[in-house]
This record gives sequence, C-alpha cells and structure tokens, in this order.
Amino acid sequence: MVNVGDMLVGYATNEDVRKRGASGGLVTAVLAAALEKGLVENVVVMKHINEFEAVPIITDDVDEVLASTGSLHSVPVNLAKYAMGRKVAMPAKPCDAQAVIEQAKRGMIDLDNTYVVGLNCGGSMHPVTTKKMLVEMYDIDPEDVVGEEIEKGKLIFKTKNGEEMAIAIDELEEAGFGRRESCRYCTLKIPVNADLACGNWGVIGDKAGSATFCQVMNDKGVKLLDNAIEAGRIEVEPASDKAIAIRAKVNDVMVNLGNTLEKEIFPEIPDEERMQYYMEPMADCIDCGACKEVCPVCACGEDSKCTMFHSLVDNYKMSMYHMVRLLHLSDSCIACGQCSDVCPSDIPITLLQSSFAIPSQRKREYTPGMNVDDVPPFFEVILK
Amino acid sequence: MIGNVYQTVCPGCNMGCGLYMREDEEGALAVDFMKSSPANLGKLCRFGMKLAHHYSKATSMVDGTESSVEDAVKAASDKLKGADVTMLGVGNTTNEESLAFSKVADALGTVVNTGMGVYSELPTECHPTVGVGITLDEIESANRIALFVDPYIQYPLLVRRILAAKKIGASVVSVGWKDLHLADENRYIDPDLYESELGLDSESVIIADVHPNTDPGWVKRMLNLALKTQAKILFMKPFVNATGVDLLCKGTGQKGISEIMDGINEGSIKTLVTLNSDPIELMPDGDAVAATLTKLDNLIVISSRDGPVNKMADIVIATEPLYAKAGSFMNVEGLLLNNSGESTTGIDAMSTLSQNLGGEAMDYQNLHNNVLESIVQKYTKPKYKELACEVLDIGPVEEKGNLIYLYNPFMWFDQSDDNDFVMVNMNMVNKLGLSKGGMIALTSDAGTVNMRYRVEDMPDGLILTAKKLPVATEWTTIVSTEAV
Amino acid sequence: MAEEGWEPKIVAFCCNWCSYGGADTAGMGRFQQPASTRVIRVMCSGRIDPLHVFNAFLEGADAVLVTGCHIGDCHYVNGNEKTEVKYKFLEEMLQQLGLEPDRLHLNWISASEGERFANFINDVTAKVKELGPSPLKPAGVK
Repeated sequence: MVNVGDMLVGYATNEDVRKRGASGGLVTAVLAAALEKGLVENVVVMKHINEFEAVPIITDDVDEVLASTGSLHSVPVNLAKYAMGRKVAMPAKPCDAQAVIEQAKRGMIDLDNTYVVGLNCGGSMHPVTTKKMLVEMYDIDPEDVVGEEIEKGKLIFKTKNGEEMAIAIDELEEAGFGRRESCRYCTLKIPVNADLACGNWGVIGDKAGSATFCQVMNDKGVKLLDNAIEAGRIEVEPASDKAIAIRAKVNDVMVNLGNTLEKEIFPEIPDEERMQYYMEPMADCIDCGACKEVCPVCACGEDSKCTMFHSLVDNYKMSMYHMVRLLHLSDSCIACGQCSDVCPSDIPITLLQSSFAIPSQRKREYTPGMNVDDVPPFFEVILK
Repeated sequence: MIGNVYQTVCPGCNMGCGLYMREDEEGALAVDFMKSSPANLGKLCRFGMKLAHHYSKATSMVDGTESSVEDAVKAASDKLKGADVTMLGVGNTTNEESLAFSKVADALGTVVNTGMGVYSELPTECHPTVGVGITLDEIESANRIALFVDPYIQYPLLVRRILAAKKIGASVVSVGWKDLHLADENRYIDPDLYESELGLDSESVIIADVHPNTDPGWVKRMLNLALKTQAKILFMKPFVNATGVDLLCKGTGQKGISEIMDGINEGSIKTLVTLNSDPIELMPDGDAVAATLTKLDNLIVISSRDGPVNKMADIVIATEPLYAKAGSFMNVEGLLLNNSGESTTGIDAMSTLSQNLGGEAMDYQNLHNNVLESIVQKYTKPKYKELACEVLDIGPVEEKGNLIYLYNPFMWFDQSDDNDFVMVNMNMVNKLGLSKGGMIALTSDAGTVNMRYRVEDMPDGLILTAKKLPVATEWTTIVSTEAV
Repeated sequence: MAEEGWEPKIVAFCCNWCSYGGADTAGMGRFQQPASTRVIRVMCSGRIDPLHVFNAFLEGADAVLVTGCHIGDCHYVNGNEKTEVKYKFLEEMLQQLGLEPDRLHLNWISASEGERFANFINDVTAKVKELGPSPLKPAGVK
C-alpha cells in the first residue's frame, strides 16, 4: 500500500522494460498494469518511429504499451486532446497534465476516468532543430543517437557505440538551438499537478539510470501504483532523504533558470510601440487555424467565437480571430508552445499569447492547469 | 492501436509537406502534425489543415452502375483494346502509380500527358531546372528574393522560408498582382524592365510557378531573367508529385490539358484515360470542359477521390485514398518522400489493366525499385540544377484580362473555402461606389456573377479571385464591373 | 496627427433600460454634444461581448463606450455585474495590445441622467480628438 504524498523509488520488474525505459521503466509498467487490470480501457502512448519521431496513439493492447518509447525530448506534442472521451491512462509532461486539468474544468475530460502519470520535464526540443544541432554542435550523426537526457543544465546524447556527449543548455540556446522557446521560460518542471510525479531526478547511487523517482500526488496516484504493484509489474521502496533533497535541488536550478530566461525572453515594450509589436508578425498569418486546432486548452470545438466571427473577406488590421484568441486564452494559456510549433508563418504565437496571459494570470494569482478546483477567472461571469 | 495513423504528404502542392492522417475507429479522418518532416517541420497551410475534408471516397462504376474494381478494370480493358487513347496524369498520386500508368500507356502504344503544356515549348536542357529548383533551405540564405507568386495565398509554406531569409538580411521584391506584407518592395513594372529594375544577382532567388494553365511566354521570361541575372530559380507546382511525374514521363511530348480539350473538340481524341486528374477541376472554365468531355466515346477515370469527372465517366476505377497508398513522392526540391501506407489497390488495378492489354504485369516493389533507379539516383541529394539553356525567344505574350485567377490548392481541386469574394483596390471601390458589405457585379461573355469584395493594395483595375468563378473563361478573363 | 476638422467616430453600446434612456434624455434636454457618437442599443449591457467591441474598433471606431444601468439597478438582476467582469479582461487586453486607454470606457448611466451622458460623450470626444484616429482603423474609413 502506498499513500498520498509518498516519495518512492521504483522500477519495472520486467528486465526488458526496465532496460529500455528511460529510467527503470516504471512509467511504462504502471501504464501497462492500468490497462491489464482494467483500471482503464485505453492508454495514450507515443509510438516510437525513430529517436526524433514518435506519434501519439491510443491503444488497448498491453504489448503496445510495453513497446512504447520512453520520454523523448524531441517530440514535443501535447497529449491532452488524445485523452478526451475515454477511460484512459497517459504519460504526461507537466504541460500535458495542465491541459488535461484545464479540459476537465471545461467539462471535456472526466478526471475520474483519466489517469495522468506525470514525467519531469526540463524542456523539449523541435526534432528538426535537434538534428541540425547534433550535426553542428555535437558532431554526431543523428542516425547514431540512441538516447538523450537533460541533467544538471546539460543536454546529453548517447550514441550507438556507447559514447555520451554533454553540452550546457545555455551554450546550445545561445547558438540558437536547444529547447523550444516556451520551455525556456516554463517553471513547472515536476508534474505535481498529475496523479503521479515521476522522473529520474533524485535517483542516485546504484539505482541511477535504472529506477524512477515517483511522488504520489493524489488518490488516483495511489490506485495506479497499488494496481501496478499488485500486478507484479513494479517494485518500489521509499526514497532516501538525500534523494528527495537532490530532486528538489535539481528542480530549483531549473525553475531559477526559467525565471531568469523569462526576463530575457519578454522584452519591455513601450506603450506606444506595442500595437505595432503585435500587429507586425500577425500580418503574416495565413489563416490556417492550426494554432486553435492544436491548442490543448481550447474546448470550444470547431465553431467558436474566434472562427465564426472571422471572415477572410474582412481585411482588418488585426484579425478578429487573433483578437478573440488573445483575450480568450489570457486566463487559460499554459504556454505549452504548440501553437508556435505548428504556425506555418513562424509567428511566435506562444510568446505573443503569453505576453497577455502571464500578467493577467499573475494579477489574479491564478495558474491554469494546477488544480481542477481553481476556478478560471473568466468563470466569474457565470458565478455572479 | 485503435484506428490507424498514416504518415503521408499533403496533396495541396509540391512543397512536400509531411503530415499524419489519423483514421479513428469509425473511419473519421483527422490531420496531425509531423514535426520531424523536413520540408515543413509539421506545419500546414489552410488547405493542409482542412485535408480531412478533401478526401471523398471514389466508387468504381461501369456505365453508371456501381461495380467492383475488378469489373471496372475488365470493362476498361475491353474499351481500350485497340483504341487510340489519350492519357492524362498530372501528378496527384505517387511515383509508383504514375509509373504504372505510363506502363499502361506503353501497352497501348501511347504516352502519359502530364498536362503541363509548357514543357513541350521549353528546350529540354532547362527541364531539370524547371522540375527541381533550388532547395527550400537555400531560399533562407538568399540575399534577395524576387517573388512572382503570392506565397500567402498560393504556396503558404514559402512564407516562413522568406521570413527566415529576411531575418538574416535578405530583401524581398514582389512582382505579383497585389502588395505583400512580407515584401520590402511591391513593384508593378513592365516585364522588359525586370532585369534592370529588380536588382537580382547570383546570390538572389526567383520564385515563380508553372501549372497547366501557365503562359509559356511567362516561363521563358522567368528563365531568361534567371539566365541574365545569374539568379537561382524555383518553380513551384500545384500537384504533389508534379516533379516526380515529369521526371518519370520524360520526353513524351507532353500535351497540355487545353490541347487535349482542343483535340476532343476537333474529334481527334475519342478516348481519354485520367489518373487522379480531373480536367473539370483543373481547367479555369469547368462548365466548358464538362461540355467537351461529353464528346468523347470513352472516358475512363482512375481516381482515389470522387470528383465531377467521375460522374461523367463511362468507367471509374476507384483506388485507395492518397494517404493510404504505398508509394513515394518527389517534392519541388527533389526530395523523395515516402508514404507509410501499404495499400496497392491502384497499382494492382493498373497491373491487371496492363496485362489485359498485352503489357507487362507490375508489382509495387518492382515499381518502387524502378522509381529509385530512374529518378532518385539523380536526385538523392537535392541540388540545384544550373540552367543549361540559352536565352529564349519569348514570342507573343497573351493579352490579359482584368479578372485574374490567383491559383491556390483549393482552386485546383475546386474545393470550397471561405474565399467567396474577389479582391479589388480602394480606387475601384470609390470609382464604382461600392458600399460596405455590398457586392460587385462581374460580367463577361459567360454571364454575370455578384461577389463580395475585399480591399487590397493592388494595381488599378485588377480583380483577383482565389476561387473559380463561372464568369471566367481562362485564368485571366475580361470582365466589366458594376456596383450591386 | 489628425486632419483639420476631423471628427472621431465613437460607438456607444447602450442598454435598453438605462443608458439608452440617458442618451434619449440628453437629446430631449438639448444638451450640447458632438455628432461623433453612434449609439447601438442592446437589451442589457451584459449582452455586449468583447468581440462586439473588437469589431467596432476593427471597422473604424476611434473609441468604444460600454454603458448600462447602475450596479443594483439592472433590469435583469445582475447583467451589468457580468458586464463588469468581462470589461475588466477586455480593458486589460486592449491596454496590453497598446490601444490608448482613453479609447475604451465603461460607464453606468440611468435614464434620467441626460446631462451625465452628454458630458461623458463630450469628454471622450475631446480626449479622442487629441489622440487622433485609432491605429486599428482600416484604410478607407474616415
């Protein structure tokens, strides 16, 4: 029996899963057990295509879960939308878990039916940029890469012949590579908003590299772990004080870095220049609608205010679509970066959107996606 | 896995945008972003985003009744045996299917027309450059970019490449039909002045396009501009595998679609076989084409999509949707892109057809190997082919009308979009006294149509449309205007 | 900045029960006010969606006024409280966008406050005249 609040170190009992998993295969084993024992009907996993490519799939096949990949820093997708309308378990970066909670607040996801196994995340990278970086900064053939890791501010790649190469993230980002912009100023690194918060930070000594640190966040987390233990898929033991301290320290370093970078990334723009600052990049918009489609907190469906009141026949200085979205997302944007990723005109939408959302959310001491009971500021309209 | 996920390429143009097509338990389609795709980093334009609506399942038909693929193939073989056949395949399908189609042509003693009439008017030395231009990455390192297309509407995934070039100092000059936000200069000048006025040199890039309705004189002008200024050139094309099909059907004296239509009208063409190419959608005046097609003795359509030509066809051989096909595509920069699908219905049908006509049997693997040998070896590492031709005699330039088609993927498939309007400038609004929310009436020999309008910065008197209009008879048509 | 003799266009959303009456009273009472205002009557200020305000600006309004009954006097119990909630977000957003704060106002005006309405319009018109045309005004709109 585990309890809410427990700090554990665990690993998959299956040797193969343990070896292949990013760090002990605990997450994979927990997901497999949830499916196997009927806790859920489906699992969302990333189907591995290569080291820089994986595609989210929904499966009811335990073998497919076991065969799924560990965490991949270079496949930055948000999984929340794949979990909708199902009794499902899923692995989740902190921003995936945030999106799941925001969707739950809007009645699109039933949290009782959604098990979220959180993974620590130091940031993710764009696959094509990563390949370019490997060639230019690491002098490694992208084909030779078999694993990667972010640790102590360094990005580490492992190659086929067992070599490891680490370069400081600062240095990579200085050179225009490294993590996606929104990850740089993100300060939620441990998914304390998920049911379980897992990761390799704090896994020390002989277990380093072959076990997972796991914090039990709530009753669903208890269920997930108990279920996996009962199924014989994992073994856990309490984490040592030292392990807990190290995990917290790694987190502090990452969060401080995020805070520092936020100041660098968001320029101070004089009032009279701000309109031009926003209008200029948005004028390159081709109205594809991808930023809405991919937005993991948007719960409006296809016909929504931003699309229905926007028409290509209007040649407005700024489109209704953008104006509505800038306002509408200011209480719910989690800065996951999906919109910037998919923008065909390379408009830094996440950055622009964050410039509205961050001040608005801070003013109200509200962080979206942390707790399903935190009422979104816009909901005040309904409550009064 | 629940449902299916296919790795495929967007059929909107030959940029080669990778994407995932997700098919759920009920067969409903959704597009997903393939961020590792080199041409587009997973990004998609408006057409790509709406791709799920693009696929409408074709049904095999024989003389108006539904049939199996086998029966349709058999009926087609009977009609084609000994006939004088014209074949059209513009490249809306894989290399392998295109190759299979050309083997059917071999069996019939004919050739596959790619519909790009312009090629036959260009010296063969310059074909490689027209087919495969500079790489998309190279656009980003140009010092100056001359745009003869509107990237926002026509080839949207070019926008980010041009912006990337600008970020590191490139200047952009647009010589299109309307002002572009990303252009530093928007010029509307006499074509004779391009060489002296556009400021191009060997570090510059010219971006233009060729399509079935391109004026050959225009392409020659572009080539001459590149030759005289030493600038590199990129010709975008509207069909996903336009580049591949051109390389596979080399040296066939390709006919344009309008020449084929002329042939039908004159009675010299009696049998037409199309592969994923709907002339009603492709030609500016769909109604005129539909009227022409009724003069055929035999119209045989091989297609993965339902379209207006299917409804007119004597025989429809329905194949699997593009995303599910086994096969490859070649994009505008000569990059070979593979589908993850494994279905070969289309190829198998064409193999049977070929055998019934006394030709060879084909299977996917052989065709694929053949594709690799015949085109990929030359183009494995995309590399710009320097222009090898001499400066060309342009010949007479077509008279232009004032209503102009701004071709885009929706238009090539005659697919609806939120583009039910024309673009005019403020002077025309004032001159005609158009009212806010009102309409403009366009009248040509083909009738009148009332359209909403959008105001753009563009030359006086022009009317642009991103949607096919019934009043248009060519890609450019003379219309009179009036306020409604 | 603004041309000589330029008159701003001001869109005033007025609720049926109070502020529209206020506008009416202002007219009846012959209080001097400029011809810059376009009044749009809605049943309740709570009906005014931020997107109506965006649309007014994008179509060429130089200022937009959101008006309704005094808090506590709403004909629909608490419609204007909802207006207030929405307005807070709208105001913040437009300021962040860089639109001058004087171009957007919220004001509660009862049906009898004709003079208050007229003064309000006069004040806003004077301020907007100083600012000149809105940066969101489309080409071709005066």
